[in-house]
Amino acid sequence: MTQTQTPPGAVTFDSSEPSATRRVVTSTAFMIAIVVTVLILLFGVLSPNGVFLSAGNFRNLALDSAQLILLAVGMTFLVGAGELDLSIGANVILSSVVAAKVITFVGGTPEEILAGDYSNAATAILLGFLAAVVTGVLFGIVNAALVNMLRVSSFIVTLAMMSAGSGIAYIVTGGINVSSLPREMQKGFGSADLFGIIPIPAVIAVVIGLVAWFAMTKLRFGVHTLGMGSSLRAAERAGINIRRQRVKLFVIMGGIAGLVGFIDISRFLTTNIQGHQGDALAAIAAVVIGGTSLFGGRASILGSMIAAIIPAILINGLVIMRVGSFYQLVVTGVILLIAVGIDQRRRAQSK
Amino acid sequence: MDSGFPPAEHSAGIMPVIETRGITKSFGHVQALRGASLRAYPGEVLALIGDNGAGKSTLSNVIAGVHSADAGELILRGESVNVSSVRHARELGIEIVYQDLAQAPDLSVVQNFFFGRELLVKGPGRLIGQVDEAAMRERTKEAMSLLGAQVPSLTAPVSALSGGQRQAIAVARAVMWATAAIVMDEPTAALGTKQTKMVYDAVRAAADRDLAVIFVSHDIPKMLDFADRIAIMRHGQVVAQMPTAGLQLVDVLTTMLSAQADASEGEAA
Repeated sequence: MTQTQTPPGAVTFDSSEPSATRRVVTSTAFMIAIVVTVLILLFGVLSPNGVFLSAGNFRNLALDSAQLILLAVGMTFLVGAGELDLSIGANVILSSVVAAKVITFVGGTPEEILAGDYSNAATAILLGFLAAVVTGVLFGIVNAALVNMLRVSSFIVTLAMMSAGSGIAYIVTGGINVSSLPREMQKGFGSADLFGIIPIPAVIAVVIGLVAWFAMTKLRFGVHTLGMGSSLRAAERAGINIRRQRVKLFVIMGGIAGLVGFIDISRFLTTNIQGHQGDALAAIAAVVIGGTSLFGGRASILGSMIAAIIPAILINGLVIMRVGSFYQLVVTGVILLIAVGIDQRRRAQSK
Repeated sequence: MDSGFPPAEHSAGIMPVIETRGITKSFGHVQALRGASLRAYPGEVLALIGDNGAGKSTLSNVIAGVHSADAGELILRGESVNVSSVRHARELGIEIVYQDLAQAPDLSVVQNFFFGRELLVKGPGRLIGQVDEAAMRERTKEAMSLLGAQVPSLTAPVSALSGGQRQAIAVARAVMWATAAIVMDEPTAALGTKQTKMVYDAVRAAADRDLAVIFVSHDIPKMLDFADRIAIMRHGQVVAQMPTAGLQLVDVLTTMLSAQADASEGEAA
């Protein structure tokens, strides 16, 4: 299609691409990694006997940040595409409630379950896992379908779905948490470790994060996602099926929320209907701190993953130092403001 | 209408790349096209001129698949085609450069060149849609050097480039993909002198590759100098098509604006 012959007299093409090292060093993910390292060292020095830097504490950090890392990874795709999902907290709750209901229904007789003695644990847990992920995916499909059909921004649609989703979770449970789930799921999954020290949920978060990074940076899917966030019109003119892309993005986010719901009940052996209110905003904050533009078009999966560790580090460190963990919210807010400020300056420079 | 305008400079043997016959298109109560017939030949720049609202943009959008015609025929190399979408038009080798360029500002030059048509790696990565960044970069370099266009970096986001550079990229991209025709809607409207020259050079290079270039413009004196032939539109019809050689500006303006002119008069002018 292209002629390789250069016409005589034509200027040969010349451009200078930034080196790989320069790209890494100037990336937001790299800067956030430095911030996280500094925070870890700071708490290490300040904590009594350096207990913050112990292997056991790193295990706690990994376990505590796994769920937010997962949510932030899914949210990176959406924000990069110029979309938002405020309903992920409700999705996590609803998925965990459905999973818990399936597990208690399949697991054994009501008496056995009350005693925490499941005759049918393995099958029940497996079906519970599937139920959580399927619920999450369906939740995502509903989000995308509503955005596509109503032609309203995903901000409004998912705001409504946040309310509707948690409402359904309350209706299904009658407002009472489903508890006394089988201990096997905690011992074998939720609090289990790989090689005796790395929590399984953290391993899952890292693996899914790396797959997502590959999809974002190496696959056509990632280019179309960011192109859509950069200019919806350009994506349409390029022949990209925006509505289908939107469904895929919300399905990824929904599936991840379902997985997080299952991890949640596996860790605590009970649903948490009153919790997860702040999940969506915490995930969006991590995404923006990690270098993804809130207006779409630019995204960093690795940045989101690293930034998602920050709240766990702050809570953990402040507790060890016997400072109220509420300060964590203040510090996270300040970091978010700084990140948004940096993003704005970069935008202003590139225009 | 569609018995057409025998173009003086082409013998009967040369077939137009693109021909429209009696295209009509309405938007609500507004009749934008009322039987527009046009021929564009390989290797030529055809200027499409006319007053505001004459139907230039609508006709070029119909050719590029942005709008579908209400009636009439679009003929590509002698065969009647039914272009249903921009994507379909591209598959047929017809590219359009939009006035606003329709680029994704955050994507790189290379990504914009291949946006929606990414090259995939060979092997198993192809199944999951892994893009072949190196091959795309090579092809982009080739296309840019073909037009003598320069940009500071191919991996930098397009938003970091100047208006002229972005325009050059849009033209180079169209040239790279087109196999039949390129439609350009006022491609130099927002550019300075030097950048405008860059785009004209690129357009001429495209025509030299045997593509038909349909160039929508308001700059009639420039078109008389630059284009090979000129097509004048008025009230949704092409009222005249003729070679620019020896044509006077006053004749063009008379044809374009006269209230009574019809096809035959336009041809006589």
